[in-house]
Amino acid sequence: MDGRLDGTERKQKSVVIQEGWPGYNLELFNYPEHYHGDIENVYIPHGVIMDRIESIARDILEDLGQHTLMVLCVLKGGYKFCADLVDSIKAQSRSTNCPLTVRVEFIRLKSYLNDRSTEDLHITGPDDLSVLRGKNVLIVEAIVGTGKTMMSLLKHVVTFQPKTIKVAGLLVKQGPNGAAMLPDYVGFVIPNHFVVGYALDYNEYFRDLDHICVISEKGKLKYKV
Amino acid sequence: MAACLEIFDDDKGHELSLFCVPKHYEEDLDSVIIPNGLIKDRTERLARDIVGDMGGHHIVALCVLKGGYKFFADLMDYIKALNQNSDKSVPLTVDFIRLKSYANDQSTNCVKVIGGDELSALTGKNVLIVEDIVETGKTMETLLALLHDCNPKMVKVASLLVKRTPRSSGYRPDYIGFEVPDKYLVGYALDYNEYFRDLSHICVLSDKAKEKYKV
Repeated sequence: MDGRLDGTERKQKSVVIQEGWPGYNLELFNYPEHYHGDIENVYIPHGVIMDRIESIARDILEDLGQHTLMVLCVLKGGYKFCADLVDSIKAQSRSTNCPLTVRVEFIRLKSYLNDRSTEDLHITGPDDLSVLRGKNVLIVEAIVGTGKTMMSLLKHVVTFQPKTIKVAGLLVKQGPNGAAMLPDYVGFVIPNHFVVGYALDYNEYFRDLDHICVISEKGKLKYKV
Repeated sequence: MAACLEIFDDDKGHELSLFCVPKHYEEDLDSVIIPNGLIKDRTERLARDIVGDMGGHHIVALCVLKGGYKFFADLMDYIKALNQNSDKSVPLTVDFIRLKSYANDQSTNCVKVIGGDELSALTGKNVLIVEDIVETGKTMETLLALLHDCNPKMVKVASLLVKRTPRSSGYRPDYIGFEVPDKYLVGYALDYNEYFRDLSHICVLSDKAKEKYKV
């Protein structure tokens, strides 16, 4: 699962945010005024996300930088993480001896209603994912909760016979409802709060917020479907 | 009381391997205590607070070199962005001074101001002093006393970091990014005998490194 070329374990796989961490006071940061009152705190500032992405990109480049990389972006929540991750991978690859070719494909998964994960998983996107055959595939997902969605998606991708499949998750939820297995690349392990921002939504709202924040009860009611 | 982001004494910071750190410093640092991105986000907010208070009149931003330069550059960028994007904006001029008072990691009582334009240029202006870190507060108090004689309209101090230390004189800047523990911090233009200015995150210096880079 680690994939380091020299066989050594990576020292630590992810930043871990402990249960009970209160996040940062909203008054210490900039955020769009239209969300005033709808968020509790700044949980993970945009800048820290960018720094962590830079580090993950470096690790990915080390493991998968030898052959064309097929990135499979899970929309809509994954779009910012994917864009910033691919940018960082390409920027760092430019300064190596063998610049990497990166191709991106997009798929959509619908499995949430309000803040609850539903049983059904709808996968839409290119019908023909045969471009993945024989390639190194990197699935890029914004958040892994129970892990059920990811397991279903992996089963689907395997049918296209890629060479390797790795998963990069910006956020992974810990706790009794959390994923049993960690993705290959993890930005932050977080407790079981409903977080929004950085393309993560609550009924389509909050995707236009740069920081990752915990939604307030007021926000949940205001934007309820 | 100025709002600030507190980094607590028992905060262990982040593992070095979780962030991008120049290879030549990997053995010299204990942990990443403030990632570069967090500094940028906090600075963006400080810029908004500053323009809110001082934006009514020509601002002269006075950068205290060398430690203050990165914070100064980023802060100016955010202030300029606000100026460009709003209906009202205010002229912003800059100047640079050096304060000499360090050798190794002991703060001495002697402060000397070097460089800068004629201090008379500050008369009647809103002066913003931009500093990287305030520890005892004595350096800043000395500078403020000096500037007072030029009759500026307003003088405010923005410091990226304020150290939580018993050696503090009690002085608090008007704008504070982060309040930090009494550990030796390097990175983001904070140096140890001129080293570590090329590190983008703020990190805790290891004891081993203090010996290695000693003057």
